Amino acid sequence: MSVHSLIVEPFATLAFMRAALVACLALALANGAIGTLLVLRRMSLDGDVLGHAVMPGAAVGFLYAGPSPDWLSFGGLASGLAVAALAGLITSGRARRDAGLVAFYLVALSLGVVLVAWRGSNVDVMRVLFGTVLAIDQRALLQIAIVSTVIVLAIAALYRPLAVGAFDPAFLRAMDTRAPYGAVFLALVVLALVASFQAFGTLLAVGPMLLPAAAARCWGLGVAASMALATGFGLAASVAGLLVSYHGNVPSGPAIVLAAGLLFGISLVATSSWRRMAPMIGWNV
Amino acid sequence: MPRSLDLRVRPDREGCGFADGRVVLRDVTVRYGRRIALEAVSGEFASGSLTAVVGANGAGKSTLLAAIAGVVPLAEGVVNCPARQRLAYLPQVAAIDRDYPLTVLELIMLGGWREFGVFRSPGTALRARAATAAETVGLTGRLRRSIGEISVGELQRALFARLILQNAAVILLDEPFAAVDAQSMSVLLGQVTRWHQEGRTVIAVLHDLDLVRARFPSTLVLARRCVAWGATAVALPAMAA
Repeated sequence: MSVHSLIVEPFATLAFMRAALVACLALALANGAIGTLLVLRRMSLDGDVLGHAVMPGAAVGFLYAGPSPDWLSFGGLASGLAVAALAGLITSGRARRDAGLVAFYLVALSLGVVLVAWRGSNVDVMRVLFGTVLAIDQRALLQIAIVSTVIVLAIAALYRPLAVGAFDPAFLRAMDTRAPYGAVFLALVVLALVASFQAFGTLLAVGPMLLPAAAARCWGLGVAASMALATGFGLAASVAGLLVSYHGNVPSGPAIVLAAGLLFGISLVATSSWRRMAPMIGWNV
Repeated sequence: MPRSLDLRVRPDREGCGFADGRVVLRDVTVRYGRRIALEAVSGEFASGSLTAVVGANGAGKSTLLAAIAGVVPLAEGVVNCPARQRLAYLPQVAAIDRDYPLTVLELIMLGGWREFGVFRSPGTALRARAATAAETVGLTGRLRRSIGEISVGELQRALFARLILQNAAVILLDEPFAAVDAQSMSVLLGQVTRWHQEGRTVIAVLHDLDLVRARFPSTLVLARRCVAWGATAVALPAMAA
C-alpha cells in the first residue's frame, strides 16, 4: 500500500471524508484557542459540564424538528447558555461548586437522552451522544465554519483581558474594566461546544477541545504559542483519527479523540522524562 | 525628596503631588453570604498617608482592601476615593497562579494597562520603563524568566515593579511581606517608603507589629469593626489589648 493510497486517497475519493476533514480542521482552529484558555483557567471540569448542558436543548430541538442541524444547534446553544448563566450565579457558593457542576451534568445528560429516546430511535440517541462526523452536510459545515470564525476573531480581539483574567483576575477588575470577560468567555466555550456537538456528540465534544490543549500545555510555552501548538495537535489528531477510522473501520469521533489522547500521553511522558534526563547530560532546564 | 523613575519619564505627571489621594469610608459593610466580614467601618485615609492595617485572622483586613479596590461589593456604606482611576491594588501573592506561562517582563509591563488597554500594543517606551522598574526592585537579569521559576520574594518584587509602572496615587498592599526572604523584604520596604515620600497614599495589611511601629506612621486596628484608627503610637496598643 502506497503512502498516497494510505493518506490521500480516502479524502480524494470520498466527499464525506472531505467534509469531515474540513469540519475537524475548522473546529481545531477554534478549539486550540478556547481549549488553551480553558486549561489555563483550570476550568476543564466546567468545559465538560457545559458540553453536556448542550444536550437537553438539542434534544428539544430534535423533538421539534427531527435531526436538523439548525434546530439541534439552536436548542443546544440556548440550554448551554442558560446553564452557563446558572453556574455563574451558583459560583458565589464556592465550596460545593464541583458537586453542583457534576449534578448539572448528570441531570442534563439523562434528560437529553430521555427526551431523544421518547420520540427517536436508538440510532438518534447514539447520534447525539457520539456525533456523526462522517455525516456532516453542507449546512452543518457552514455552521461550524461560521462559529469557528466568530470564536477565533473574538479571542483575537479579547486576547489580552482573557489571558490576564486567567492568572490574576483581581488585577483585571481593579484596572476598572467592568466588562464581563468571564461571561463572554463562557459564552464562547458554549458556542464552540455547540459547533463540536454536531461532529462529536455531547459525550465527546469536549475531547477535541481539552486534549490537544492539555497536550500543548505540557511543553511549557507562552499562551499564544500554546494556542498555536494546541491547534496543530488538533489538526494532527483529526487527520490521524479520520484515517484510522477509515482504514480500521472504527467509529470516527472516538478515533479522533483517541488520537488526541495519544498526543497528550506522548507530550506528558516526553516532557516529564526530558525534565528528569536533561540535567544528567548537562542541560539547564 | 527623591523622584520616582516613572515620574521622570512622564514629565506631564511631575509635581502633580497626588493632592486627591484620600480614601474616605462611610459605614462600609461587607457580607459573604450571611457572614459579616466587615461592619460599619468609617474614617479617612488622608492623602499621602502611610497606614498599616492590623488585626487577627478573619478580622476583615483583606476584605477592607478589596472593598476599597471595588473588587467585592459593599452590602452597605460608601467608599469615596477621588483618585479611583489611579488606584492600584495588590492582593496576596498566593492569589497569583504561578504555573501560568508568563515572563517577569510581561508581568511588569501589565502595569501600563491603562495606557495600552485591551487593544493597543505596549510601546517601546513602556518596555524601557518596565526595565527601569525591574532595576529599582533588583530584578535585572530575571526579565526573561517565567513567573514559575523565580522565588516568592522575586515574584513579589516583580509585582511591586508592576505597581511602579501603574504610577498610582493610592496603593493597596495585602500582606506584601508574607513568605518573602529578608533581602526582598528590605527592597520592598524601601519601595514603600519611597512611595510615601513621593506623596502617594499607601495602605498595607501587615502582621509584624514591630515593623508597623518602626515604619508606619498610621495604623488601623480591625476586628470586623474599626477598633482604633490614628497615629501608630496611639492606635497600635489597642491591638495588644
